Amino acid sequence: MKLSKNFTNPLAANNPVIVQILGICSALAVTVKLEPAFVMGLSVTFVCAFSNLIMSLLRNGVPSRIRIIVQLVVIATLVIVVDQFLRAYMYDISKQLSVYVGLIITNCIVMGRVEAFALGNKPWDSFVDGVANGLGYAFILVLVAFFRELFGSGTLFGFDVIARFGYVNNSLMLFPPMALIIVGVIIWVHRSINKDLQEK
Amino acid sequence: MAINKNSNLYIITYTVVMVVIVGALLAFLATSLKDKQAANVLNEQKVSIMKAFGEADASFDEVVTMGRLTAGEFVAVEEADVQAVFELLGNRKALTEAQDKLPIFKMEKEGTTKFVLPIVGKGLWGDIWGYVALQQAEGNVVITGIVMDHAGETPGLGAEIATEKVQKAFEGKKLYNAEGKFAVRMQKGGAQNEYQVDAITGGTKTCDGVNAMLAESIAKYEGFLRATEAQVEKDVEAETPAEEKPAAEETPAEENVESKTKEE
Repeated sequence: MKLSKNFTNPLAANNPVIVQILGICSALAVTVKLEPAFVMGLSVTFVCAFSNLIMSLLRNGVPSRIRIIVQLVVIATLVIVVDQFLRAYMYDISKQLSVYVGLIITNCIVMGRVEAFALGNKPWDSFVDGVANGLGYAFILVLVAFFRELFGSGTLFGFDVIARFGYVNNSLMLFPPMALIIVGVIIWVHRSINKDLQEK
Repeated sequence: MAINKNSNLYIITYTVVMVVIVGALLAFLATSLKDKQAANVLNEQKVSIMKAFGEADASFDEVVTMGRLTAGEFVAVEEADVQAVFELLGNRKALTEAQDKLPIFKMEKEGTTKFVLPIVGKGLWGDIWGYVALQQAEGNVVITGIVMDHAGETPGLGAEIATEKVQKAFEGKKLYNAEGKFAVRMQKGGAQNEYQVDAITGGTKTCDGVNAMLAESIAKYEGFLRATEAQVEKDVEAETPAEEKPAAEETPAEENVESKTKEE
């Protein structure tokens, strides 16, 4: 019960992007097309899950004075692992993601979950929490990318969807401000459904 | 025995052990994936060169002759040297500084010879680079294709140089003007003549970078390009007597066709 709540909470009611407003930078940058957004989401999920797991395993041995440094080392290592793998096996996507893979290190979601959850919880709970938060992030990224790719390029995952019906691509959708506006609209819809999130 | 986790000794030991483990892990990973990554980079270079040639589907290894410009002459690259050439292409700093043994690619197809040269320069925010395909024609050198990429130009503005739309505009542009000066450039306010390409609005600094890149990178090959040009002209002259008759016949025939079309 607790575990399933751990898992579902970050996906909707406590989504890291649209409720906690974390990780917005990369949400704007890599959502032009679905494919990089999808890979970015999976990469963050991987980093988030395993940094949570590792930090939770280490939590009783980490000297509290240098715990932030240890967290950074763990996260940075995982990010380099992801980056190296993308370069070897998904070269085109790694080029599209460019610096944003490296910038997963600075993604507040990852460090936020390690600091707020993994240091005080058991490994398995922490792992689930990491996966859920990563997926919550990935879900928003894919949702934003869906609208941007569909209306900006007329394609989905590179396949021609509406362009063939004479749709003229709206290149405004490809610029970062539109990602911000889409994220804003998602937050609006989300809050009008979850009334308890509305600030009085 | 309880360990004081906040003692200096514990913290230092902890850090050292952590760094050693992480360092070993990453070193192992980097070495084991290195070949695969290098193959990706190599493949990308080959694909870019084929795109510049306008033969994106053809296989680089089958149709392209790799060469190095040694003392103004095209010298085919030997098997053992191939890797060194690609390494040079990947090293933009070394490529900018190279003055001799410059990499050049040749493709002969249906009687025409095209050359691809690597180009490197600086945009607004970082490096820009690419490949330009050139062909001799009418006593001049014509761009038949170009591919460009960038490290971090502004999306939607300078970064447009990496798009097909901008690159297509270079096709058919002549390198040298009537005075024989290098004239091809991205012109602010729109192309005025056969040497100019529309610049990108809002991307002026990047376009300036492209102009400088083309001028500087191609200048190194100028002697060779002009020598080949003269060679082509000589060949044409030598062949003219034989070709004179059919050429003379062709012209009136064409005119007839035209006049017929007009009459219809």
